[in-house]
Amino acid sequence: MQRLLAITWLTWKAALRYRLFIVVTVLLLGAVVGLPLLIKDDGTARGFTQIVLTYTLGTITALLGLCTLWLACGTLARDIEECQMQVVATKPIARWQIWLGKWLGIMSLNGVLLALSGACVFGLLVFRASRLPADQQQVLRSEVLVARGSAKPPQADAEIERRTEELLQERLRKIRVEKADLQEVRNQVREQVKAAYQLVPPGYTRTWQIDLGSAARRLRGKPLTLRVKFNTAEGTSAGTFGGVWLVGVPRQTKLWRSEVLSLASDTFHEIQLEPDLFDDKGILTVNFVNPNETALLFPLNEGIEVLYPEGTFGLNFTRGLGIIFCWMALLAAIGLAAASFLSFPVAAFVALGMLAVVFSTTTMSSAVEEGTIANYNAEKGTKGWSPADVVVIPMFKAILKIISLAKEFSPIDSLSTGRSITWTQLGFAFAQVVLLLGGIAALFGMTVFTRRELATAQGTQ
Amino acid sequence: MPTNVTELIPHSALRDPQTNGEVVVSVRGLTKVFKDFWGRPKARAIDNVDFDVRRGEVFGLLGPNGSGKSTTVKLILGLLHPTKGHLEVFGHSPRHVATKSRIGYLPEESYLYRYLNSRETLQFFGNLFELPKEDRQKRSEQLLEMVGLSQVHLRAVGEFSKGMQRRIGLAQALINDPDLVILDEPTSGLDPIGCREVKDLIIALARRGKTVILSSHLLSDVEDVCDRVVIYYGGKIQAQGPLRDLLASPDTIQITTPALPRQTMERVLELIRRDVAEDKVKIDTPTQNLESYFLEIVQRARRAAAETSGATSGARVAAYLRGDAEQGAAGEKILERLAAPQPSPRPANAPAVPVAEAVDEKKLAALAQPGALPKPAPTPSREAEKPVELDQANEKLASLLNKPK
Repeated sequence: MQRLLAITWLTWKAALRYRLFIVVTVLLLGAVVGLPLLIKDDGTARGFTQIVLTYTLGTITALLGLCTLWLACGTLARDIEECQMQVVATKPIARWQIWLGKWLGIMSLNGVLLALSGACVFGLLVFRASRLPADQQQVLRSEVLVARGSAKPPQADAEIERRTEELLQERLRKIRVEKADLQEVRNQVREQVKAAYQLVPPGYTRTWQIDLGSAARRLRGKPLTLRVKFNTAEGTSAGTFGGVWLVGVPRQTKLWRSEVLSLASDTFHEIQLEPDLFDDKGILTVNFVNPNETALLFPLNEGIEVLYPEGTFGLNFTRGLGIIFCWMALLAAIGLAAASFLSFPVAAFVALGMLAVVFSTTTMSSAVEEGTIANYNAEKGTKGWSPADVVVIPMFKAILKIISLAKEFSPIDSLSTGRSITWTQLGFAFAQVVLLLGGIAALFGMTVFTRRELATAQGTQ
Repeated sequence: MPTNVTELIPHSALRDPQTNGEVVVSVRGLTKVFKDFWGRPKARAIDNVDFDVRRGEVFGLLGPNGSGKSTTVKLILGLLHPTKGHLEVFGHSPRHVATKSRIGYLPEESYLYRYLNSRETLQFFGNLFELPKEDRQKRSEQLLEMVGLSQVHLRAVGEFSKGMQRRIGLAQALINDPDLVILDEPTSGLDPIGCREVKDLIIALARRGKTVILSSHLLSDVEDVCDRVVIYYGGKIQAQGPLRDLLASPDTIQITTPALPRQTMERVLELIRRDVAEDKVKIDTPTQNLESYFLEIVQRARRAAAETSGATSGARVAAYLRGDAEQGAAGEKILERLAAPQPSPRPANAPAVPVAEAVDEKKLAALAQPGALPKPAPTPSREAEKPVELDQANEKLASLLNKPK
């Protein structure tokens, strides 16, 4: 342990003596304090707070992420290039301990920097909220500065797949389809089935049943929030669409009916519900009446959601920072792994390149969706084919799967929408991001570093 | 009249290596080929090398630049992997982590963290050896004192001169009181005082049964302290063995005496000329070497309390490096000898140095026997040479520099 701590202490010394710690602290605090002065919002306290949270936490993550990658690549690669590692490696410390000590050093630095900047963001939000009028404070505390649990209608994926196959077989019996086009036809049928699950035609009512689960018991007597979003194929002159919401079941639960609400498409809307609208089993029944002349489409994944109070913002904010810290741990491991076998500039380039890939998964996703990397022929309406598809598409699938392990958590989005980040989520983030992905990077880095000849580099001091 | 600076007595003349047969480093058929990115052989740095280093030896790796000395050192330390051959340190692979707690290493350049000061540097390396806090602090103090950096312990190592960096490098190599000390060009960048101190330190370590591997291309360094050497050229060992064997010249002898009256001198010469042709007899007055003279000047300046912003001359060898058992013995106070008004007494366990000894009648008799020449003395001791008066030396130096005295 003494050896590990010695290497950790050395990383701290380097960060302090080279003034990296001071510079990053100033940048982070500058971003936290300066950004709210520059950004534009929708004029409401809620909108402003959401934007401040999104921008400041986003900037902190980006700055700290870049700094972590740079430091991780530099601290190991430069020690090797400048030959200090030749002296350290001749002492009774295993190479993996040197590696781990460096990682612990970077992570302890990150911990302090994240805690400092996070505390600053939290303090600023609370301070600004306390200066708002009482009604706005109430809105803020019930919609943003809160930790709200979420419940959605049950997943219909299996049902959609089953229905898709039924319809496909039915059509195949009527029309002959070329083997090469079968997949394309299946995709089109699936989209039709999905649309049926999402669409509310003009003059129709749609019903969703949302299971509140074990949370239902604690939610007796507490108001709920309905969060909705819909898309339309056509617009209106006013830009909004009317709609009536009916919540509850006659003779079983209390009933609540909204006014005719005028809602914009492609935007999230939060509608406050009265307490105790769900039945004894914790099922909340929500009906929507579409009085418009156009169909409205409520997306399956985010079209409708019920939010309920679950905890305090402070603890939620801490858990959110916890997930960001997990990301930093992964970045530090990636940087150190690259520096274990590459020179500093190359390691930094590789690590940043990997980061760029993570942020640009759209191309890979669409290639996987189309099943080819070849271009789509718009004139013939057919998709292309490439011999590389055999290798590239499975590779893209694997990369996307790995990336999704780290990207499936969205603490900034959750915090800015006042949604709860549970301990379970934090635990999963730690397991997937730190233990699994970080562990793979660490194992690779430690192995390479242990096997590496350290005396081939000539000193650059 | 002798000077008040101790002459450096060749290590091999002072002591018989305290080797007990335990092999500390064993090298068999060691070959190292550096390869390029594509795995093609680029340079054969070491080619089929064999040697053993035994406990208590001061072992020299000698050779010109690029001959493979440093590569050998790095292979012994596990920083490079052999292409072929077998290498063991204390009976283990060089990459065995626990074995490294018995090794101290001074690299050929100062590969230390430039942003740490000298005290932090020693604390850091002490932590890597898991030394308890008290030991770490005590040893750091003693080492800083020993290498003459205690007054500048708060300055960053990056600000140090090359010599000062070598000194702190040497201190870190000794923080664990190692059983095997590997010194790669230890006197490179050091001033004459520093060189002298390093050599004295090596002798002190060897006297405690420590094993020292010294890699150097400076012949005087190796000659002064090494028991055995290997001489490299082109990655191959060209010669190896005890220094006294390698340097012995069995066809000549040297007799050193105090100044003799002319008549005595003539009688001696007459005796010698009976057996040896006149052109083969050489009579010379030994002069003090420049190292001794330089050290004397510095000693005088120090006595006058001149201030310096650089490293001061090191004090005595750190107590823990001297070993408790040897404390109090005059021989261990190596550095103190610099300040001694008389040549320091020889170490208790060292054999008699042939300096100002009474003439050994037996040896003379043996010399008189044709064909019965005894084995020559290892290396003639400069202590036997008649020291030149300081005034004379000053005069010489002044005339060399073309300056008034």
